[in-house]
Amino acid sequence: MSVLELLRPVTITEIPEHHFVVVHPLDDVREQKVNTSGLRAMPMTLSVKLSLMALRGYLILMMLLVLYHVIDLAGAFGPHAH
Amino acid sequence: MANQVLSISTAGAEATLPPVRGCVVRSRWLYSVLTFLTVFGPGLIVMEADNDAGAVSTYVQAGAQYGTRLLWILLLLLPVTYFIQEMVVRLGIATGKGHAAMIYQRFGRWWGMFSLVDLQLVNFLTLVTEFAAISLALSHMNIAPKLGVPLAAVALITMVVSGSYRRWERVTVFLCLLDLGWVAIALKVRPSLGEVFHNTLVPGIPHGGVTASLTFLVIAIVGTTIAPWQLFFQQSCIADKRLRFSDVKWARLDTFLGAIFTIVVAGCMMLAGNAAKMHGINFFDPAQMANDLHIFSGEFVRSAILLLMINAAVLGTTAISLSSSWAYGEVKGWPHSLEMPIRKAYGFYLTYVVCVGLAAAIVLIPGAPLQLIILGVQVLAGIMLPSAIIFLQLLLNDKEVLGQQFVNRPWNNWVNWTIIIVLFALSLILAAQVAAPNLFPAS
Repeated sequence: MSVLELLRPVTITEIPEHHFVVVHPLDDVREQKVNTSGLRAMPMTLSVKLSLMALRGYLILMMLLVLYHVIDLAGAFGPHAH
Repeated sequence: MANQVLSISTAGAEATLPPVRGCVVRSRWLYSVLTFLTVFGPGLIVMEADNDAGAVSTYVQAGAQYGTRLLWILLLLLPVTYFIQEMVVRLGIATGKGHAAMIYQRFGRWWGMFSLVDLQLVNFLTLVTEFAAISLALSHMNIAPKLGVPLAAVALITMVVSGSYRRWERVTVFLCLLDLGWVAIALKVRPSLGEVFHNTLVPGIPHGGVTASLTFLVIAIVGTTIAPWQLFFQQSCIADKRLRFSDVKWARLDTFLGAIFTIVVAGCMMLAGNAAKMHGINFFDPAQMANDLHIFSGEFVRSAILLLMINAAVLGTTAISLSSSWAYGEVKGWPHSLEMPIRKAYGFYLTYVVCVGLAAAIVLIPGAPLQLIILGVQVLAGIMLPSAIIFLQLLLNDKEVLGQQFVNRPWNNWVNWTIIIVLFALSLILAAQVAAPNLFPAS
């Protein structure tokens, strides 16, 4: 069997004995994944909740810092001293 | 399916299947190679697309300033980038959903919106820098950006709107492989191989010690090699490609090879910058370096650097725009697949077209604040990355979502928390420098 024949997919209905079939994921039957549809927010311990709140505060602070810096660089607060 | 077929096959009995398209092979070895090739793609693309225009600029600058002395950082980043993306592979294959959708579902509306808005903002600003690089390279090739940039945007849109994931993937993998041109450039500029190996394997601080310039370059290298959009992109890409549970090991191999490929290419970019340093060339951007370097290294190096700059920007643009489109589609609940025709997923394609079109248009505006945008990209990505990885880490410990099979092992958690702590430290240094610019010695 030539390489070109191998790479040209054909419709397979039977697998001969001691053979393997290679199927592209997009040609394969859809697989049942982990069912996440019924899941709600992740249950967290108090320490994780507090850590995430601290992270939220840190991110808000950093965003404000970046915003200030960008506005400053754009010259909104007057010319730079240096 | 592949596992099911394998078990039937090894059982020795002739079996029947519902009709599927595939190839029948006799050799187990050939079966493994072909299965890998069908899975191959997302790992290479997510890694190599990260060597985008900003990365070219950062790595070349690192080489020009410090020669080969920072190559060891790339070697250190190889396992880091692999570990992070490997978690994404498991999450994508287990859930078949994108990263944005998972954050929204498991961490609530605030974090879902924050991740989405931050991702869209950083992605869009990055897209502007990609088109700025295309414009720059084209102008050095005597092609008018007003003509070339819109053409590039149209080509990027055409790549995606054909309604075939496979077509997009093949084109993108081809573009990734074109980056091997950087290896040819590195060989052409003839670096000292002994020095390259030594500085890759032996960590060291360049002469002059820890300065503000070195600190920022190191942060920029880390931020360039590991980017937030990569988490969103690879998980959505895996979900869109419908990778199966049995594909996990091949997807890991794809990601690992992609990581090696990317680090090698990044190293070659540093060697190009090192060549400029050796010849005493000072430059503002890689395109100017290419022009000046051609006196010493020939026309091939000049043309190759300019063309590969465009290639890097094109790769970055398609991957980053898709990560935005997938994430937005997931959160909005819109159909979001490259396998769908435009009429069935117009919101998804429209997001892509708007991202690409608007970024290209901004670059063509005379006097657009590109330097400010580049700074914004670096800082915002630096801020976003550690928090994005924290959510990844929490999701990978979520037994309700992943079960025992795909959840992180204790050693995964140790490695990942170490990475998170280092990234947070770098993020804090970046914040401190923004707040107090004189924190580090200037030189």
